[in-house]
Amino acid sequence: MFTMGIDIGSSSSKVVILEDGLNIIAAEVIQIGTGSTGPKRVLDEALSKSGLKLQDMAKIIATGYGRSSVEESHKQISEISCQAKGVFFLVPSAKTIIDIGGQDVKAIKLDSKGCVKQFFMNDKCAAGTGRFLDVMSRVLEVSLNEMAEYDSRATEPATVSSTCTVFAESEVISQLANGVAKENIIAGVHQSVASKACGLAYRCGVEEDIVMCGGVAKDLGVVRAISKELKKPVIVAPNPQTTAALGAAIFAFDEVIGANK
Amino acid sequence: MSRIETIISELSSISNNPKKAMEDYKKETGKGAVGVMPYYAPEEIIHAAGLLPVGIWGGQKSISKARAFLPPFACSIMQSVMEMQLEGVYDNLEAILFPVPCDTLKCLSQKWKGTSPVIVFTHPQNRKLEAANKFLAEEYRLVREKLERILDVKITDEALTKSIDIYNENRKVMREFVDIAAAYPQIIDPIKRHAIIKARSFMEKSKHTAMVKELNSELKSLPVEDFTGKRVVLTGIMAEPNEVLEILKENGFAVVADDLAQESRQFRNDVPLGPDPLYRLAKWWQEFDGCSLATDAKKSRGPMLIDTVKSSKADAVVVCMMKFCDPEEFDYPIYYRQFEEAGIKSLFIEIDLETTSFEQTKTRVQSFSEML
Repeated sequence: MFTMGIDIGSSSSKVVILEDGLNIIAAEVIQIGTGSTGPKRVLDEALSKSGLKLQDMAKIIATGYGRSSVEESHKQISEISCQAKGVFFLVPSAKTIIDIGGQDVKAIKLDSKGCVKQFFMNDKCAAGTGRFLDVMSRVLEVSLNEMAEYDSRATEPATVSSTCTVFAESEVISQLANGVAKENIIAGVHQSVASKACGLAYRCGVEEDIVMCGGVAKDLGVVRAISKELKKPVIVAPNPQTTAALGAAIFAFDEVIGANK
Repeated sequence: MSRIETIISELSSISNNPKKAMEDYKKETGKGAVGVMPYYAPEEIIHAAGLLPVGIWGGQKSISKARAFLPPFACSIMQSVMEMQLEGVYDNLEAILFPVPCDTLKCLSQKWKGTSPVIVFTHPQNRKLEAANKFLAEEYRLVREKLERILDVKITDEALTKSIDIYNENRKVMREFVDIAAAYPQIIDPIKRHAIIKARSFMEKSKHTAMVKELNSELKSLPVEDFTGKRVVLTGIMAEPNEVLEILKENGFAVVADDLAQESRQFRNDVPLGPDPLYRLAKWWQEFDGCSLATDAKKSRGPMLIDTVKSSKADAVVVCMMKFCDPEEFDYPIYYRQFEEAGIKSLFIEIDLETTSFEQTKTRVQSFSEML
């Protein structure tokens, strides 16, 4: 039996196809999100790579910011529940999840069964999100994929505000103008993201194992900064951008077999 | 339309259009209205003068002109109040009563841009001393004198005592309404509940009492049906705009009790008995606890909320955090920890009167519903 999870975020679209609730048949990502061609393209790609049809899916569940606009889905579940489900499936020892996506930062606390005990989200502010890194990457002329490498070479991280993306951008511009090395600025940018995410994690109560997911988890500079701030190791979920879609696919499987509460 | 629907519709209409409520009152009595700024004021003095006390709680509004006078981190209510006073919205009020229990109100009271006369008074924060009662009674005496001068009326002790009785009756009926509404969430959804309570800010209280009393009686005559959704207690300053309550409704939540400054905090305590009406009004402030704006060395808000959760058989608390409200933000970590210790689940949502996008609130509320 196949089930599908579709996670439509603000800046990317993800699909996971699951066989019998256990085997990941496809896990596709397209780096454009809700309101774009991303949702359709990622769906087509996942079906094409798996050789399956939409009709082969016993159930489809949508999640993410654009969850209510996915016509193919039978149900919508919030990304917080789906992240918890997906991450716990991959890392059963997870107790705290830090999820940083395009426009949201979330800290989620799990119980020993992987159920959400508490969660906190960022306010309506881009600071500390993937969008914040996008802006900094453009100003610094360093691609997102290269930022972790630059960070690893930093000798003296610069101070970058975590209050506001626009202020932080002008800080970065003036630091560049003052000749501060990009490596140090990028390490400062990562610390800024970490301080925002850790603020939410502290509210939740930090308990190990700590797992990071969401697109920003691919930037190991952010992962290092969060680990340093929390003074604890941080595990990056496998394929961290697709964990919510995976969770949605598991929920879909559970619903088909009647395992949900 | 049933009698219940008619009463709800009338109260909702008043709640949504305070300007019309003021105009109707003027037509009916020939008398005007006095504005009452948040959060707590001796409205009874205005009532005793024969005028209509009208709550000033801001509104859903885009902010532009107010930016010239307020810092961006002033709370959302005051941003919208400033915007509307600059637009002349409050200029037809005979006067404005202005308590100053927080820094933002204190500063705003000194830069009112409307044309109506403003009467500022102070709530003492060393509330549990007898001196606090004497101080506040004296403040209220000055408020009465200023109102008498501005309105050219005499406000007698007798009239004031009568108004206190009318207000206490309204408080009692409102407490009954809150309890009864909790048993009928299929009829009194979060939006209707809010409108019924909010209407009291724009109505002569004995009229509001009569309507809510009838509503209570009509509701009680109906059978109580099983409710399959989740029951929550709201805490904070206010739960607006209505979109927030709509999201709660869509996700199957019923509001079974509240600790909102705009709602139950206004009527959970009666004005106590006594010979001097101004002293009685002052004593209300001393006996009032569990509010971020009233200094409380015992920090009893958390335990009070926990009791409310138990007595209303609620599943959880929804914290409606007014954006940039310092007193509420300071209280939050204290009662949050108490909730955790008591095993009470809570959801934090941000209240911003300027916002028109509610996606984050939707995600939070849906996640919370899935979590419970």
